[in-house]
Amino acid sequence: MSSADEISSMFDSESQKLENFLSKISDNLGISEIIETYYQVMNVTSMISMLKQQLDSENHKTLLDKINKTEQVILGKFNTEAHPKILENLTNSIQEMTKILQSSSGEKTKEQIENESQLFEELRKKMSTKEFVEQYDKGLA
Amino acid sequence: MIEQLAKNLVSLKKEFAKNYDGKSQMQEVIPISTSDSFPIKQQDLELLHQFATKNPIYYNSYEQTIDNTKCIVYEGDINKYWLNSIQHGSSNAPFSPTWIMSAYVAVLLTKELGYSEIIDIGSGDGRIAYCAKVLNMEAYSVELDEQLVDLQKILVTTLDFHPFCSDATTFDYSSFNLNHPVFFIGGLAQMGGVALATGVIDKIQSHDFWKTTGWVFAGTYSQKYAPDPKNEAGWGTLIEANKLGKLQTISLPTVWTFHETDETPYIFAESL
Repeated sequence: MSSADEISSMFDSESQKLENFLSKISDNLGISEIIETYYQVMNVTSMISMLKQQLDSENHKTLLDKINKTEQVILGKFNTEAHPKILENLTNSIQEMTKILQSSSGEKTKEQIENESQLFEELRKKMSTKEFVEQYDKGLA
Repeated sequence: MIEQLAKNLVSLKKEFAKNYDGKSQMQEVIPISTSDSFPIKQQDLELLHQFATKNPIYYNSYEQTIDNTKCIVYEGDINKYWLNSIQHGSSNAPFSPTWIMSAYVAVLLTKELGYSEIIDIGSGDGRIAYCAKVLNMEAYSVELDEQLVDLQKILVTTLDFHPFCSDATTFDYSSFNLNHPVFFIGGLAQMGGVALATGVIDKIQSHDFWKTTGWVFAGTYSQKYAPDPKNEAGWGTLIEANKLGKLQTISLPTVWTFHETDETPYIFAESL
């Protein structure tokens, strides 16, 4: 297999992984799925940026076409649609959880305190995920 | 003796953490009585237990023998204080305390170093200032978060460690008539601690007591944080920039290192 073939095959594989992640995006995306999706988007974006510098349009036309197609998926489907929606869902979910936790008062049993503590833990995880997603957002600006 | 006491406390914590199967957000232990490993006055130990039993952050306690030391385990929850601090932006770093026993050992060392007044900056529930009073030192507690100061007011009925609700970087320390004070800076260097310490240093540098002032900084070697180029667990640059002299470092258990293998290094320094 030539070097160009290897690169093309590697890019195909990573683009396919990205497509799989993007096809699973929904309003109920879990934290680990969010993180994995963003990492794959960043991974493929870096590959695109590196390959575009190395490939020339005469010898690598097919691969460059694939790259442009994937780039459009990231710009269109992910950056314009999915990413703002993920950020909005995280923001709403954090607000909702915060409200619930703030309104919870009065005497509680040990079990109630410890169950609520898990909700607080979930809130902390969502907040750091939101920070991570916001970092991506800053990169787009 | 104090270094050995700190080591014994770290061993106790490690043994406790290894077998702890509870679900509480925070937990700590205090020996019930004086022993070879913990040669602490019985009266002091009782006052430390009183701080925990009176403190509403703890909702459960039970007796457990750890490494042949009979202890009381205190289980607590500080989530509502965390939520309050992030909602109102009322503090640089969310409240996460050191262990009561660690506060006692750290204050004991400052006493041995010759300091007579403790000023607990970003004091949380005031446990360091409380321990200073246990050890017959003068104590002041400065905390920005109103909710935490309200909590301190519940605890001063045992020993008055003088809580103040104020921004420590604008506070007027001349009202304390300090002679040989030591400032404990709450918060890691990387979590707002440097800004807090710099603010306090700027505020007191022109005072007569500056040259006799000591400092205690809570550090970390965690790879989660960018290391300081001058080391000292995150405080090296501040220590050098303000011409402080490092005295000693001791490692002690804290709530935030309960699940970690490394304890919290406390850096003791003095103004030169």
